Amino acid sequence: MTDQTLHKLVCLKNMPTIFRRMLKHPKNNKILKWSAVIAGGLLLLGGAVYFYFATLTHDDTAKLKVDYVVEAIPFIKEFEKDYLAANKKYAEKIISVKGIVTATEPADTTMNIKMTDTTTGSYLIFAFQDKHMSEAKKLKPGDNTVIKGSCSDGIYSDILGIYFVSFKRSTVENN
Amino acid sequence: MKKTILSLIIATVSMMTFAQKKTSTSAIVAFDASTAIDNLPKAENKTAIAAIDPAKNTVQFEAAIKNFAFANPKIQEHFNQESWLNSDKFPKATFSGIITNPSAVNFKKDGAYNVTVEGDLTIKGKTNKVTAPATIVVIGNTLKTTAAFNIKLADFGVEGQPITAGKVSAEPKISVSAELN
Repeated sequence: MTDQTLHKLVCLKNMPTIFRRMLKHPKNNKILKWSAVIAGGLLLLGGAVYFYFATLTHDDTAKLKVDYVVEAIPFIKEFEKDYLAANKKYAEKIISVKGIVTATEPADTTMNIKMTDTTTGSYLIFAFQDKHMSEAKKLKPGDNTVIKGSCSDGIYSDILGIYFVSFKRSTVENN
Repeated sequence: MKKTILSLIIATVSMMTFAQKKTSTSAIVAFDASTAIDNLPKAENKTAIAAIDPAKNTVQFEAAIKNFAFANPKIQEHFNQESWLNSDKFPKATFSGIITNPSAVNFKKDGAYNVTVEGDLTIKGKTNKVTAPATIVVIGNTLKTTAAFNIKLADFGVEGQPITAGKVSAEPKISVSAELN
């Protein structure tokens, strides 16, 4: 054991004695009390910040301001033309899309809605916020509708050979 | 004679239908990196693309990283940032593999079959071999599949303080399910 380690151990062992001695002096007593109050305050603040971030949830998309209002087919064409530029413009933005439902697809207990450009096969796909799932389940192929959602991004599918643009936390606007 | 021709046509059409590649654009990929001290890092992507080719015994998946939906927006932000999945640079995760025991499944007969799938999983531009048990349920022309496996985040270049602090599992569970037509 090194001298330094031994010194540390002795200091630790004598801590209660050191504190008792410090408390005997009124000036030290005051400093310790304030230190305890500040430490307690910081602990509470830290706890409050952690609680705030841990319990954060996404806002209701229906109440969010729309960044872009678009028509489904020209919107798909923008991604087909230059998906990098389109992603720069639309990714993680709230977008209101007007178009015709081409398919409804069950995904577990939920439902996804698709709007497809039938000439190329590229499509938009909307996953819905839980609180708006019932609105999605009322839609059927052929319905002309407006869906508002958070645009994730558009990517090229090597499996299907087409572009697809995904939306999350969507809601039906013209319900 | 007419009956024979009709039977042949029906058989040919049925075989062609079974041989076709089955796909889904609403496959579900779930990511669970929760730990005993933090249950927040878990998400689902319900718009993944899946494909099974019964003729070639191939299995494929593609999932847009940005479409993994977390309950907590802060965790979602961290998941996509440069030091984690870097979704701006690597927008999708892909899997391409084969059924290693194709004789265990009969795509022409309804039933539940246990198979093993092996292939290349690419996340954040890094590719690693993955082997996973999977179930394929054949119902007419529809295939319902499920699979689950664990990955090592470090193998895909994903490392950070939350992992060493035990807030994010170093070996999250990936679950995949799809209904393919």
